[in-house]
Amino acid sequence: MDTRDTFRHNVLTSGHRACSGCGEAMAARMVVDLIGPDAIYVNATGCLQVFTTHNQQSAWQAPWIHSVFANAAAVASGVEAALRARGKDTPVVVQAGDGGTFDIGLQCLSGMIERGHDVLFVCYDNEAYMNTGVQRSSSTPHAVRTTTTPPGRLSEGKHHLKKDLISIIAAHQMPYAATATVAYFPDLKAKVEKAMRIKGPRFLHVLSPCPLGWDHDAALSVTVARLAVETGLFPLIEMEYGAVTGVMRLARQRPVEEYLKLQGRFKHLFADKEGAAEIRHLQALADANIRRYGLLDARTEWDTDRAVQAQRQGRGGYAVSPKETSL
Amino acid sequence: MNSLAVEPGSTVAYPTGDWRNQRPVYRDKWPPCGQTCPAEEDIQVWLGLASDRQWEAAWRALTERNPLPAVMGRVCYHPCERACNRTHLDGPVNIHGVERHLGDLALEHGWRHHLLTEQPQTQQVAVVGTGPAGLSCAFQLARRGYPVTLFDARSTPGGTLSSGIPGYRLPKSVLQGEIDAILALGIQLKLNTRIGVEIGADTLREEFAAVFLAVGALQPRTYPDDGYGGHSVMTGVDFLRRINDGERLSLPKHVAVIGGGNTAIDAARCARRLGAEVTVVCPQDPHGSHGGHPGAEMPASLDEVIQAEAEGVRLRYRVGVRRLVRSGAHLSGVEIARVDQIHDRHGRFNPVLFEGTEEFLPAGLAVFAIGQEVDWRGLEALVEPRASSVFIGGDAAGQPRFAATAVGSGYQAAMSIIAFLTGAPSQYRHHDKAEVTFRDIKPQYYPKQVRREGELMVASPGGFSERVAGLDGDAALVEAGRCLSCGVCFACDNCWHFCPDAAVIKQMGGYRIDYDYCKGCGICAAECPCGHIDMEREAG
Ligand SMILES: Cc1cc2nc3c(=O)[nH]c(=O)nc-3n(C[C@H](O)[C@H](O)[C@H](O)COP(=O)(O)OP(=O)(O)OC[C@H]3O[C@@H](n4cnc5c(N)ncnc54)[C@H](O)[C@@H]3O)c2cc1C
Ligand SMILES: Cc1ncc(C[n+]2csc(CCOP(=O)(O)OP(=O)(O)O)c2C)c(N)n1
Ligand code: SF4
Ligand code: SF4
Ligand code: SF4
Ligand code: SF4
Ligand SMILES: [Mg+2]
Repeated sequence: MDTRDTFRHNVLTSGHRACSGCGEAMAARMVVDLIGPDAIYVNATGCLQVFTTHNQQSAWQAPWIHSVFANAAAVASGVEAALRARGKDTPVVVQAGDGGTFDIGLQCLSGMIERGHDVLFVCYDNEAYMNTGVQRSSSTPHAVRTTTTPPGRLSEGKHHLKKDLISIIAAHQMPYAATATVAYFPDLKAKVEKAMRIKGPRFLHVLSPCPLGWDHDAALSVTVARLAVETGLFPLIEMEYGAVTGVMRLARQRPVEEYLKLQGRFKHLFADKEGAAEIRHLQALADANIRRYGLLDARTEWDTDRAVQAQRQGRGGYAVSPKETSL
Repeated sequence: MNSLAVEPGSTVAYPTGDWRNQRPVYRDKWPPCGQTCPAEEDIQVWLGLASDRQWEAAWRALTERNPLPAVMGRVCYHPCERACNRTHLDGPVNIHGVERHLGDLALEHGWRHHLLTEQPQTQQVAVVGTGPAGLSCAFQLARRGYPVTLFDARSTPGGTLSSGIPGYRLPKSVLQGEIDAILALGIQLKLNTRIGVEIGADTLREEFAAVFLAVGALQPRTYPDDGYGGHSVMTGVDFLRRINDGERLSLPKHVAVIGGGNTAIDAARCARRLGAEVTVVCPQDPHGSHGGHPGAEMPASLDEVIQAEAEGVRLRYRVGVRRLVRSGAHLSGVEIARVDQIHDRHGRFNPVLFEGTEEFLPAGLAVFAIGQEVDWRGLEALVEPRASSVFIGGDAAGQPRFAATAVGSGYQAAMSIIAFLTGAPSQYRHHDKAEVTFRDIKPQYYPKQVRREGELMVASPGGFSERVAGLDGDAALVEAGRCLSCGVCFACDNCWHFCPDAAVIKQMGGYRIDYDYCKGCGICAAECPCGHIDMEREAG
């Protein structure tokens, strides 16, 4: 048991094999420490599963089970039903990548929600199949370079658009679905804690930068996530029973170039006029998000400035179980 | 360092630290405010304490280097604020405002300075001059157990703070309050004692193991050819001293003040308060006309100039006095003319005037405030040659002649004196921590907040009551909270939240990096708001 830190449990602890600067490890560490060790974690195949369990070693300091790539939500449904049968209310949490959520895991997820299982499903979205070498997924944004969407004479990267997953999820008339990212810890914390207070199926979509697949400096994982939000490309919203009930207002809208130019996966867009047209397209997509969710004029006290502001003694920590702090 | 582990268990058995080619290091920096403060206050530290409402602890941290915060918060021209990194965000922290608030709180609550040692020393030290340099030195020595005797020729302590600076800028009670707190450390005060007159310099050297000369620069400078003396002519220093000593001068209708420094502005504002029409004859150009070039622009502090003008003082720039115009002994005015050169070849203040540009300026009193020099008379036995037990500081030691500089020099002198008396090296350390500039700050992490100012109180004609109000407790708290904590961790938790590798460990009292696991991604450094984390190349 690793008890180095008295202020967080480190449900996902050190020694894991994620790349340096991994946004998925960062996101998962925040989420699981907000939930705490007294939960059962079900993990789909993908980077998070592979880099945390290696050579008979596990980075998990909580009950954790690996399903397969497609069926994490089905396994979690079973775990939850079994707990219920035994009269227990231990929280059940699914973790999956975008491949395991948007693509191959979607039908199991849909079924889990439709049956009303009391499970939180967390998707760590790094916008491609990273674990197997950066193949495109239906979450990969338009114009991105992946190994299966290489830009060249006839291509500006991925042709299709990023799937609007949150709308699909929300269409299930479920209690709570939200998007979040690593750059805004207080917002992520509020959403995880809210999700944990609600019974029934819940869904959290966490944008998780990937220095390898996005080809950005490892030090910039948080910066890139912040820009994804500030450009309007990744709106932070909450939905309850299909209706939008919360948005993070943008204190200011940044041009998409600021986000794109930090990442090698968009580098080809800066090379020629076809690329320039795609940048305009991505800008139009960001503008459309902003209009759709009212990101610039929503009447909220929360905005992208307030949500990052640092404070002395921090802006909140993690669920630390008493038995650990007494050590 | 690690082998491929095959034992079932936790990944903590697998130290990922050897993937790293650079390492984060927590490092306290020295912010530009403290680097610029002539008293070398650790400003960031006491602002941090104040922002936690730890007012008394903040005052104690401040007075480590400066026992006169209520005074300095009023009269120091706060170069710290010109250097403050927050300027580039939305305006500098009102450092002097918080400083003054802390000083005022101490006076209000009667906080007392603590001795740093229980052990009394035996070697006697004499401090000559009760200005800020002498007070600061005596304070530092007394806290360290040395028996100190403070001498001053005047009947009130405080040096130029008392004899030069008018009460509307620094109420006498504030100055006296802070002096009393210093003296309460057990310092002996001997007023009305001019060294060289009441006590010989030789005697002093023989009776004291060390002597600190903080005699200021009180000898008014005059023009090279002194055809300017006589009736209805005064120096700025004498004029202000008489007013500060409570003399009720009755002034003629028109007063001309010659000079462009703070003494000139103080004299002009005092004369104005006594009901005169006042014109300042300033040899330099106005503020901002030469991009801040020293020498070419009026040296007086801009705030003071603005207040003087608001009170009705007239300013004539780039003019000098050609002669005094008298009818008999009576002064009727001064002849002024456009200044060509201000200083002569030797750098001495000696304006050259353009012929044919003369004007008559009516004045029944001319006040010359063109600088001061050190008066060494009577002290020769101590300084020619300087004995090894004699130390010099404050205005007497040279430029720049500011109150906070004097405080800093008093601290340094105390450290040198202790080194001399004990034979150990001086404990004085110039702040040598790395600097932190605005480039190291991540502005997105700080909310924009307008700076709070002390209000200007209505100047009552003839009144010498304080002109600028202090910050109230709420405003002082906001201002302290505006400090970016440049280069010094303020426990925001960012590095701890963001580290993907659980390599930032939070403990009571701070954070540490667990280099067994840190992969060197640099996120912690990139997202530390205040630039406290450096990334360093790993060797090899
Ligand atoms: C009018 C005026 C306004 C100023 N305003 C400001 C301001 O707003 N802000 C700022 O930062 N600076 C200001 N200054 C400058 C500041 O006051 C000085 O830099 C500072 O006071 C110097 O401190 P000191 O301790 O070296 O000397 P002083 O404060 O000048 O004190 C020297 C003391 O030594 C005593 N003394 C001298 N010779 C002897 C002797 N032989 N025996 C015994 N005692 C002796 C004197 O009586 C005097 O009390 C001002 C100066 C003037 C003249
Ligand atoms: C049925 C099946 N098909 C393919 C794979 C190979 N595979 C393992 S992980 C992965 C991609 C995972 O992508 P994602 O879910 O986005 O997670 P990430 O690695 O990006 O975090 C694939 C294709 C598999 N394990 N099982
Ligand atoms: S003494 Fe002057 S420079 Fe130092 S902190 Fe105070 S106002 Fe700033
Ligand atoms: S923000 Fe604070 S620490 Fe930084 S320069 Fe200004 S006063 Fe000093
Ligand atoms: S964020 Fe963590 S892994 Fe990255 S450099 Fe800092 S301590 Fe090391
Ligand atoms: S990121 Fe925050 S907690 Fe970490 S060193 Fe910087 S100021 Fe301190
Ligand atoms: Mg993925």
